[in-house]
Amino acid sequence: MAVDAKQLAAERAARLKAAVELKEPDRVPFTGIGGDVIAAYAGITSYEFNFDYEKQCQAIIKYVKDFPSDQPVIGMTGLGNHVASMAFSDYPDLYPIISRVDGPTNDILGVDYCRFPGRELDENSSPQFIGREYMSAEEYDELIADPVKFCFEKILPRIVRAFRDMKAPEAHAAMARLALEKAKAGAAMRDMFRQLQELGYAPGGLSVFFAPLDFIGDQLRDIPNLIKDLRRYPDKVKAATEAVLEPLLKVSVNAKGPGVETAMIPLHLNEYLSPALYNEFYWPTLKEGILRLAELGMKSQVFFEGRHDAHLETILELPAGWGTAYFEKTDVRKAKKLLQGHTCIMGGIDVGMVISSTPAKLDEYIKEILGEMMPGGGFILAPNIGNLPRETPIENIRAVYEAVEKYGKY
Amino acid sequence: MVSPEAKKLAEERAARMQAALDLKEPDRVPFTGLGGDVIPAYAGITSYEYEFDFEKNRQAAVKWFTDFPSDSAPRVGLGGLDNQSMGVAFQDYPEIVSGVNSVNGPMNDVLKMKFVRFPGRELDENSARQFIGGKNMEPEEYDQLIADPVKFCFEVIMPRISGGLKDLGSPASLATMARFGLEKARQDAEMAKTMQALMELGYYFAPRGVCLAPLDLISDQLRDIPNLILDLRRYPDKVKAAAEALVEPMVKMGTMSIKAGAKECFIPLHLNEYLSPKQYNEFYWPTLKEVILKLVEAGMKVQVFFEGWHDAHLETILELPAGWGTAYFEKTDVRKAKKLLQGHTCIMGGIDVSDIISLTPAQLDENIKKLFDEMAPGGGFIFSPNIGTCPRETPIENVRAVYEAVEKYGKY
Amino acid sequence: MREELLRSFVDMDEQEAVRIARELVETEGGAVAVLDTCKEAMEEVGRLFEAGEYFLSELIAAGDMFNQIMEFTLPKLQGEEVASLGTMVLGTVQGDVHNIGKDIFKVMAEASGINVIDIGIDVPHEKFVEAIKEHKPELVGMCCLITLGVDSMKRTIEVIKEAGLRDDIKIIIGGGRVSQAVMEHVGADAWADDAARGVRLSKELLGKE
Ligand code: B12
Repeated sequence: MAVDAKQLAAERAARLKAAVELKEPDRVPFTGIGGDVIAAYAGITSYEFNFDYEKQCQAIIKYVKDFPSDQPVIGMTGLGNHVASMAFSDYPDLYPIISRVDGPTNDILGVDYCRFPGRELDENSSPQFIGREYMSAEEYDELIADPVKFCFEKILPRIVRAFRDMKAPEAHAAMARLALEKAKAGAAMRDMFRQLQELGYAPGGLSVFFAPLDFIGDQLRDIPNLIKDLRRYPDKVKAATEAVLEPLLKVSVNAKGPGVETAMIPLHLNEYLSPALYNEFYWPTLKEGILRLAELGMKSQVFFEGRHDAHLETILELPAGWGTAYFEKTDVRKAKKLLQGHTCIMGGIDVGMVISSTPAKLDEYIKEILGEMMPGGGFILAPNIGNLPRETPIENIRAVYEAVEKYGKY
Repeated sequence: MVSPEAKKLAEERAARMQAALDLKEPDRVPFTGLGGDVIPAYAGITSYEYEFDFEKNRQAAVKWFTDFPSDSAPRVGLGGLDNQSMGVAFQDYPEIVSGVNSVNGPMNDVLKMKFVRFPGRELDENSARQFIGGKNMEPEEYDQLIADPVKFCFEVIMPRISGGLKDLGSPASLATMARFGLEKARQDAEMAKTMQALMELGYYFAPRGVCLAPLDLISDQLRDIPNLILDLRRYPDKVKAAAEALVEPMVKMGTMSIKAGAKECFIPLHLNEYLSPKQYNEFYWPTLKEVILKLVEAGMKVQVFFEGWHDAHLETILELPAGWGTAYFEKTDVRKAKKLLQGHTCIMGGIDVSDIISLTPAQLDENIKKLFDEMAPGGGFIFSPNIGTCPRETPIENVRAVYEAVEKYGKY
Repeated sequence: MREELLRSFVDMDEQEAVRIARELVETEGGAVAVLDTCKEAMEEVGRLFEAGEYFLSELIAAGDMFNQIMEFTLPKLQGEEVASLGTMVLGTVQGDVHNIGKDIFKVMAEASGINVIDIGIDVPHEKFVEAIKEHKPELVGMCCLITLGVDSMKRTIEVIKEAGLRDDIKIIIGGGRVSQAVMEHVGADAWADDAARGVRLSKELLGKE
């Protein structure tokens, strides 16, 4: 890495760190905006982006070169394979192999909830997660008794075609082929990371954690069923959230690469729940998870998807400086009023505007947001949703980056 | 970068081997070279280092193949031990077969095979790796083997022979397979580097298939030799049916490398010297012959390593179509074989490794001169040690004498 | 009955040979008769092997039959004087784990009247020395199937020399990797790569033939 690239990387990291520590950096840290538009910008299909490692890496490098930011949301393709991560939570070395399903690995595994462009979907679609009910209500006791064993023995065979019969040659071969495939991807990735370093980005990444109730809702019961379960089997649901907490934390530790200090926690059920339900079923184990992650040396970055307004105050139950609250629909200005000096706030760019507005209006919009959010520090500028569609006008993207450049100085 | 000179050298070497295979006279007698444990000794490293550390293994190989040039595609990389029953178990997954068929040191750290030992692990760091063998199947199980050999090898045998896979379908066994995949990927990348280094020295590489005589698979990997010998008398029909059931899997093992460009399949024989001609012709040869014919039909040449004394069965080779491939002999006198097989079979072998260890340079020079006088005329001969492995203690002046004699007397 | 036993044994009729032996062993002096007959049969099998009529498969089957029969015969011989031609310490040398050839040779040597102390496979040099000290054999047999075993034999013999035991014993080497050149190289007294010849030479070294 060239000296100036190294220095650039250090500056970027310091900028983000200052914000998380609730201070004012030299400039407002900006994650950049990306997603499907990265493939479009490089002139390749989403199918190519999801199945051809080399093209994917080239596209990312091209995009990051033209649109530099402090922590580019490089398009990690694919979908999480969280049940597998839990089922193999006793095997930390396998986390990189089993934790995500991308195009080629899905060809090997056949994951029930995954749809990929160029396969089940049109070649320019985004990969899709379409969950179903993989666990029946009668199985709560089994889940509670031993979540890891239950996920391995009962759920994985239902979710992954190659694991239908765990004892069969197909299942064993799939594990080996998965590793061989990931190694292939790894070679391309290493090359990409090297180039990213040349461009002034430090290697790193994020660990992950899930609110225990989300794990049950997204991965096992399916959300509509879980909502009913909250009334029909409240005790079992509660016991289940407590049972999955430990293995979920284990997965977070497995996912923590060298130098990683942050765990990403995307929330799903939060906006479905009344404060009463949130406080009874959702928040206690999520809160405990965040506190435990802190003990394990990780700050949390919670992505409060949807509207979190009804539960905003609960964040104050966490110790000041616990981490970052990343908002989707909740107004970051409103959040700032409540959380300033306690929680780093992230978000601010409405992706809908980036798609549909004009460069001039975006310039104005960014100026305004930064004007309100920057003072006092503790703010990271980010799109409210990670994914810009292929059709996003490039001049709008450029306008956002230029505005950040213009108005982002402290 | 492979220089034009290196490329030309490689082509000459390949052409020399090919001419012999085609039963013609090349420009020189093709020589496979000597190898084995003497390679790490010559480089001053332990056998443990050579069998576990790709970087050191590569350096040792480069040193050896620079100082002692030879004609065949060099056998480099970490040394492995036969594990064909597991190859059969995974025969529907070629990318896995090439990694389980033969197990080297680091791979054994993953698979934990019961019947192998490696230097620096179970053995002293300068020992040679060992395949201990043993009985992994009961006579009552012949019917299962006959009914579905692939299923049998997977479900019954594999859990018995691999510590990592002893509980099929458990997280541990699936994790073993994932780790196997990671290790295989690592090794493939390392091998590519080693091959590149040797190609820069003027060597070429040609993938080749490997399989066993059906009856050898049963005796080496499943029943153990002494048990199988008794089975021949106690359960002759079952043994025969089992060998027949293994023809298809063996052909599949041999031909699956064609996709990767293989033109030759290697078959080392073990039981041949144990059997009387009657037994050989009843239990061993029919299925071996069928395998060879099917490989030839698929467009491959076959190299059969007739281990031990094959004298009693020599004539059966003539039942194969002329030009089928190479007969590599261990103890059978190549001169005697030539009389019978000239114009029909390429003959390989010629020098006893025990002689390379125990004779003097002058005696070796003399022996090779005489050998070439008799064997070179008419072509179809590849000069090779009768066994692949020269031990660490092989005197280097004797090694040098062999290479010099080949240089001196090998010209046609 | 001895004739029938001999014939069925040499003809490799396992069931018949074992059946007759079981019957014979129960008769007066039967155990000795069974032993002698089986030894005679083994010798005949060895002859057929050397003549190229029998193969290793027959040697293994004969060895197995011999062992099966001895299992019920030897206990009946307790107290009987069984003549021994001498004692041999036998092992596969360090680094080598092949045992089939050694085991074949062992049965045939035992059948010929040699008392064989089998010290196993992959035998370290010192273990040979210890066994020689303990059993005071006239003969030491080393088996070697792989090329690295050649050096193992050489060193084992050196160690035996250093222990001052070389002059008390004769050394015969066997197995796939041995030859006249190897014998001279390692400093042994005889070599054989087939069991029948090996037994013959062993007897010669014992001065019994
Ligand atoms: C069967 C076999 C095995 C079996 C052994 C089963 C067992 N429990 O013994 C298994 C599969 C386990 C095996 C393992 C290995 N083997 Co292996 N094996 C053979 C094979 C095919 C036959 C050996 C045999 O049993 N012959 C039949 C017996 C009866 O013959 P014999 O030992 O010579 O015995 C006769 C006489 O010599 C005599 N005799 C025997 N002992 C004695 C002792 C005395 C004192 C006397 C007087 C006479 C005597 O009586 C016997 C009957 O006539 C040979 C090839 C060959 N034909 O030599 C390779 C061979 C010996 N193995 C070889 C190798 C490399 C190995 C392995 C390393 C694994 C591998 N890569 O295949 C391992 C372990 C090596 C080690 N460190 O020991 C190589 C050796 C190469 C070398 N370095 O020299 C050979 C030569 C194959 C080859 N051509 O490459 N092997």
